[in-house]
Amino acid sequence: MAVSLRDSVQLVSDPRNLDASVEEVFRLMLGVSCRRDSGPVTEDLESVTAVVGFGGMLSGACVFSSGSSAAIEIAAHLTGMEFAEVDDIVKDGIGEICNMLAGAWKGKVPDLAAHCGLSVPAVITGRDYKLHVQAPEFQLHHFYRFDGASFAVTIVCDGLQ
Amino acid sequence: MSEIRALIVDDSAVMRKIVERALRQAGLNLMVVHEAGSGIEGLDILKAREVDLILSDINMPLMDGLEFLREIRAQNLAPGVPVVMITTESSEEHVKQAILSGAQGYIRKPFTSEQVKERVLPLVNAA
Repeated sequence: MAVSLRDSVQLVSDPRNLDASVEEVFRLMLGVSCRRDSGPVTEDLESVTAVVGFGGMLSGACVFSSGSSAAIEIAAHLTGMEFAEVDDIVKDGIGEICNMLAGAWKGKVPDLAAHCGLSVPAVITGRDYKLHVQAPEFQLHHFYRFDGASFAVTIVCDGLQ
Repeated sequence: MSEIRALIVDDSAVMRKIVERALRQAGLNLMVVHEAGSGIEGLDILKAREVDLILSDINMPLMDGLEFLREIRAQNLAPGVPVVMITTESSEEHVKQAILSGAQGYIRKPFTSEQVKERVLPLVNAA
């Protein structure tokens, strides 16, 4: 029987799956507890954004975004190293965090886990840029915080079979 | 425990270090850790070096982990050496593909050192 995610769009777009994925990844890989936050509080001009694409029965992306100081703090927790700036190791670490968030999120729905692939992460750094998606099927955009670090995770779905 | 020569294949250098740290926390006595950023690099290392344990990601550019695994078997590299896949892909289908391609173990990212211990130590001890 052909599988369709259209019948389970409520399950796929359940915002609790994203919260559970963030909690799981940060608890297991960083040893910290994250909580939902109302909005961004970063004053950093520099942003770090990691993108992992979804392909297959769901197309779209998982996007992680934070200021540079939060990215440095997350990478420090992940690696046990100290960083003075957003270098290649920090970018690599943030890309892996995004990769695990994307994998954990799609793993919450068995049909999605089985019929949706992940791209390798891409990491973008810079100032004053915004992510635009035209007419997505659905979009989840949540803010989180642990210690002094705040970040956002976005799931954008622009196609669902 | 005897000294282990490990090969860790992942396109992320950070993740290779995290896997190495988890192996040490799991109690493995790592003598040498070879690192490869792709399946192609992993094959090159296996042609030149002997290892006792292979851990590989699946989603990688150039040559993914499943193709790497099939090439190991096709070229009869590292015979009898256990291979454990460490990946964000968690579906039954991915696990099945990995096992059919010759993996003995499967660990989903994110992981704990306890999970690494449970899945890797028995394979190393049995090899």
